[in-house]
Amino acid sequence: MPSITIDGRQCNYEGKKMILQVAQENGVEIPHYCYHPGLSIVASCRICLAEVAQPNPRNGNKLELIPKLMPTCQTPVADGMVVYTRSPKAIANQKAVMEYLLINHPLDCPVCDQAGECHLQDYSYKYGRAESRFVDDKIKQPKKDIGPHVLLYADRCIMCSRCVRFTKEVSGTAELGVFGRGNREQIDVFPGRPLNNELSGNVVDICPVGALLDKDFLFTQRVWFLKATPSIDGVTASGDHIRIDHNDGLVYRIKPRTNADGNKWWISDEIRYGWKFVHAQERLRVPQRQQLGGMVECDWKTAYREALAGLRKAVKEKGPGSLAVMVSPMLASEEAYLLGKAVRALDEQAILAVGPVPVVGEDKTFPGGYTIYAEKSPNARGVRQALELVGGGAESVLDFPVFIKSLEDKQSKTAAMILTGGYPTPAGESKELVKAVGKRFMVTLDVLPNALASKANVLLPGATWVEKSGSFVNVKGKTQGFMQAIGVLEGARTEGQIALDLLAEMGASEPERYDVATVRERMGGMWVSGVAMPSAAESAVRAEMSYVEL
Amino acid sequence: MALSEPVLVKRIPTPPWGDPADRKYVGYDHFTATGGYAGLKKSLGMAPKAVVDVVKDAELRGRGGAGFPAGMKWSFLPPEDGGRRFLTVNADESEPGTFKDRLLLDFDPHLLLEGIAISMHACRLDTAYIYIRGEYHHQAKTLQKAIDEAYAHKIFGPDSILGLINNFWPQCYVHRGAGAYICGEETGLLESLEGKRGWPRIKPPFPAVAGAFARPTIINNVETLAMVGPIMERGAAWFKSMGKGRSEGVPPTAPASFGPKLFGVSGHVQRPGVYEEELGIKLSTLIDKYCGGMRPGSKFKAAIPGGISMGVLGPDQWDAELDFDIGKKYSCLGLGTAGVIVMDQHTDMVAVARNIARFFAHESCGQCTPCREGTGWMYKILSRIEAGGGTLDDLDLLLELSGSMGALPGTTICGLADGANWAVRTILNKFWAEFEARVSQRRSKVSLAAAGGR
Ligand SMILES: Cc1cc2nc3c(=O)[nH]c(=O)nc-3n(C[C@H](O)[C@H](O)[C@H](O)COP(=O)(O)O)c2cc1C
Ligand code: SF4
Ligand code: SF4
Ligand code: FES
Repeated sequence: MPSITIDGRQCNYEGKKMILQVAQENGVEIPHYCYHPGLSIVASCRICLAEVAQPNPRNGNKLELIPKLMPTCQTPVADGMVVYTRSPKAIANQKAVMEYLLINHPLDCPVCDQAGECHLQDYSYKYGRAESRFVDDKIKQPKKDIGPHVLLYADRCIMCSRCVRFTKEVSGTAELGVFGRGNREQIDVFPGRPLNNELSGNVVDICPVGALLDKDFLFTQRVWFLKATPSIDGVTASGDHIRIDHNDGLVYRIKPRTNADGNKWWISDEIRYGWKFVHAQERLRVPQRQQLGGMVECDWKTAYREALAGLRKAVKEKGPGSLAVMVSPMLASEEAYLLGKAVRALDEQAILAVGPVPVVGEDKTFPGGYTIYAEKSPNARGVRQALELVGGGAESVLDFPVFIKSLEDKQSKTAAMILTGGYPTPAGESKELVKAVGKRFMVTLDVLPNALASKANVLLPGATWVEKSGSFVNVKGKTQGFMQAIGVLEGARTEGQIALDLLAEMGASEPERYDVATVRERMGGMWVSGVAMPSAAESAVRAEMSYVEL
Repeated sequence: MALSEPVLVKRIPTPPWGDPADRKYVGYDHFTATGGYAGLKKSLGMAPKAVVDVVKDAELRGRGGAGFPAGMKWSFLPPEDGGRRFLTVNADESEPGTFKDRLLLDFDPHLLLEGIAISMHACRLDTAYIYIRGEYHHQAKTLQKAIDEAYAHKIFGPDSILGLINNFWPQCYVHRGAGAYICGEETGLLESLEGKRGWPRIKPPFPAVAGAFARPTIINNVETLAMVGPIMERGAAWFKSMGKGRSEGVPPTAPASFGPKLFGVSGHVQRPGVYEEELGIKLSTLIDKYCGGMRPGSKFKAAIPGGISMGVLGPDQWDAELDFDIGKKYSCLGLGTAGVIVMDQHTDMVAVARNIARFFAHESCGQCTPCREGTGWMYKILSRIEAGGGTLDDLDLLLELSGSMGALPGTTICGLADGANWAVRTILNKFWAEFEARVSQRRSKVSLAAAGGR
């Protein structure tokens, strides 16, 4: 394998690559601002420069030092190359660039959201000089509202042009541009054309400094208080890798996780801000039951007893096949499995059905390759697979339209059912379903109040995906595990836990805590070995934060 | 040594051969009647490669500033692949102190068009874009007039005497800039031509491989191309009979200083203007013989050899030879565009440096950190020094800043930063005493207020 040497370390590589890429692959840090693996190379920030010596084939492959400093982000590697990023010349350049970047920078870290995860701060410590020699007046630049999600603090901008290239190359919308020249130039939008594409939030992620900030996150939390949990998109079928940043049981923001063969470095705004229902005021917090024509709050024990009584009554009166369970595509596969098991413990012929799968518009692929999927629930495929495991085969599970038809059928034996929701908006609960269910006994598991929940005989408050662990099967059929980021809302329980509780309550098993590993064991097969999990590094809390020796 | 007959200004009355008052537009008929397009006719009878070889033999170096051998540049083109190939003519002429191309565009644009046609034939380029400085309103019009005449006489367009090139009839267009110095840098020009922001490109790839619209492209200055017609007409040996030639000790493979050159002189001389002389003429000769000497009462103090990017010549460099070797010999960046600015004893060199820094700070495209911030910073420091607020530390800082940024040390993408850097550095070095006298002898920047005083 060909190799180069960077600061004395041998770095192997394959194919045509730039020095910086090879360094990153080999864990050697070279500072960089304008370079981003998902964007074209412009080599304009000039912090990544190094001295490079190359074997000269015309001179018996003798190493010859290139007299100029070379941009490592733009210099292709050649076998036997030797790169010096810590030579006096390279260090002098790093110090110079850091000093340049700061002369017109407001140095307002104490009030800047980016502080703590800012490349300007980090590199200042590592590569900068302690003192600036700039004594003249700084150029002042305005703060601008450039789109529904994004604020621009123009004076913090280091003109790396990543955001501009993103809107040109990835979203293809080109809202952002560079205006003006020299040190007065600014990033801006064109008049009347705000940064409002469906991927706009990504510019905040790729901005190496605090120039582009997320309005939603603005001033809500200092980043060093945040804990990060790797997760999977829980509001669409994309299976995009995300990271949930949270503190003290509250989610503050969602960021993309690098995923080479999926969402790469990006997520849509829909996914980025789609978690808001997790902390909605209206979240269901207490079990309820129908009493005297209205919903009345009760404790879990009573709710379980009432639910089981209703379900058992149906089986007793109508015999096998009188129960049904409808598992929402918002739930984890493991939960679908447990819910199926619980219903089948009461009625061996109970109907297993997948809940409604919301579809909005059509799939949309952007010039940079990123796709927004029309399917707005994370796990239609996984729920089906898990229920098939319970029922034995594809025919044993009904899709939602077929399930509705079966309920509407005059011959329908179904007398009682467990329904699950968990959708971020009431849209998930279709009018069709309310009508089809009619006066049947209904145990509903949901997170937000809606038409169906208000008609339930027993209503059990469930949990969102950030409050539990499990796995989703995305639109491409990939099974991916996610981890619980925050505790379940007080008073609510995960749907997996509710299923286990019901099983215990009916005497079919011992009381048990919902634990994905145990459930997967029971499901067997690919569920034991085939669930893609985040890497150890991604699972480590804020692995990218390092303390700098002062 | 002196030019025995005018070459580029053959049809443009210029001292000592003519009176500028007699200058007028040279139309197609006048041009052909005085031997114009003879070089083109001759070239069309030759194989394209043979034409390139003549230009190579002539060792014609670029007149746009960098002095790169034109024939060599032409031979960097990849073999034809059936696709399109372009010529872009650099008529941006925005280097302060430079106005030589304007003379050709104003009066003898066909000389340029002849060079364009020859290079299109030689390099198999199907379309020429003349990128002209936005402020050259009049010149753009004259140029268009000449192009229309050339189309009418089948130099370009359908049934052109050049024949089909890459399956296209050769075309020639004028493209007007919008007033940015950086669009004179060849790749900034290409971006601007493509309708983008004039941000110079990173190289490689070089324009000869992937230039305009990502196709092979040759970029040459107006004067460079204007020189091609006469060379083709009269041969490489004739061209090489003029100029300084190869300086002593220079290896025969290194580019040398052959041929005539336009010198645009401005400043404290009696008769500023554009003059044609051989490369290697002494600055003193140029001023005394052509420009009528310094103004009355003026004494030579400094001169900028070729556009402000090149730095200055000091009071003791009055006899400097103006050729491509001027840089090494007289510690400046080079000959540049040969737009000579002459300064007399009353010139405040601090103000000169400040004004030059202002230009570069204003014109930096803002892409590279060192240039964007460095030029602006130098301007601020120099302004402060001029206003009396400078210290000795500032002078050291200026030397440090100007010593580190630029494409030559590798810290920037294009040469604009080098221009800023050489200008400031050479003025500072050659007029150190003047600067020292202007700054307070304080070394520490801690002011009384900051130190806890009042
Ligand atoms: C900042 C900058 C500005 C330039 N401006 C001009 C210009 O206005 N006109 C020009 O002919 N060349 C200009 N050049 C030089 C061109 O980049 C290029 O070298 C030249 O057009 C090549 O033509 P030549 O080889 O015929 O000289 C400039 C270069 C730099 C770095
Ligand atoms: S706003 Fe941020 S991403 Fe955009 S150019 Fe400035 S620093 Fe770079
Ligand atoms: S050196 Fe200056 S003008 Fe040239 S590309 Fe860089 S920032 Fe732009
Ligand atoms: S990362 Fe290489 S120049 Fe910006």
